[in-house]
Amino acid sequence: MPTFKTSTEWYEQSSLLLKAYPSTTRITSKYRVQKPTPSKIKKRERYAAKQADKPKPEAASEAPDSTTPAADELTASFTLKTYEPASGACLKYETNKAAEVGRLIGNLSRLGRHMAAIPGATEDLSAPAEPMDISTPIGEGDVKMVDAAATDKASGGGGGGGKKKKKGKK
Amino acid sequence: MAGDHLSNEEFFTQLTNLFEHNRTKGHGSIYLTQKRLSYQTENAAPSPTKVLDDPLWDTHPEQAVPVIIHASNNKSTPYKGTDRKSIEKIKISTIVQPDQLDAFFARYAEACKTGMSGLKKRDRKKGKKDKKKKKGVAGDVKTETKG
Repeated sequence: MPTFKTSTEWYEQSSLLLKAYPSTTRITSKYRVQKPTPSKIKKRERYAAKQADKPKPEAASEAPDSTTPAADELTASFTLKTYEPASGACLKYETNKAAEVGRLIGNLSRLGRHMAAIPGATEDLSAPAEPMDISTPIGEGDVKMVDAAATDKASGGGGGGGKKKKKGKK
Repeated sequence: MAGDHLSNEEFFTQLTNLFEHNRTKGHGSIYLTQKRLSYQTENAAPSPTKVLDDPLWDTHPEQAVPVIIHASNNKSTPYKGTDRKSIEKIKISTIVQPDQLDAFFARYAEACKTGMSGLKKRDRKKGKKDKKKKKGVAGDVKTETKG
């Protein structure tokens, strides 16, 4: 159950998972607001007292209030979770910044397009990730090939240098 | 459980209610889920032979599929020693047709942005102050070391 450091990483991995299992993958986002526990309040108070005793560097002396939260401030978080029940894959990302919400919903929207199988939504990913694989003789299935490759990641460019150009000789 | 999906309009009013409820309560969670709509009555599920022929049929359906969006709050039960009250779980859901997806998510983003007021705001004031200072003094007080 990895929690990713960046939202782009989460988005990339989620879209791969979604591509492999488009009809069973679900994305749950949780907005959580918590009251601090009594022990947490105590801890914050202790921390604030400690900070007050410390001699401050000049730059921080102007606005000490904005950095240290009030002792009984609520904690809120926004967690994104992609889950696929059959494989048990679960990808997470968590933030507490309001500025990120818009971007994250934008990601959800793009993933929603994957889910809905809207044509054109799936191409942007597959293009850079896949090396040209010429060994498959199927003429029809661009989409199929990519999906198969995304599902088993072990196929990391097996026959890499097999690309031969046939030049017409006379 | 199934069958009582709201229209998109209604869903948004309910969703804002849900967020408002959370705000007045002061704490609690809101869960939002999105998933491809896989339960369809009119065009029946693909026959087993089709699945056998092409086990990855669901990765490239012929036409775009609707997406279902759920939203719910957390249930709460009274607990001794706290001021917790009994709160019923509210569950709402809506089906978004593929052609309305973009419009829906634009509104969805707005609703979420306004609803999630508890998250940390960007500290604009401070940044501006610093910039002015930089211009005035032309010094190198770039980053404040936060305690």
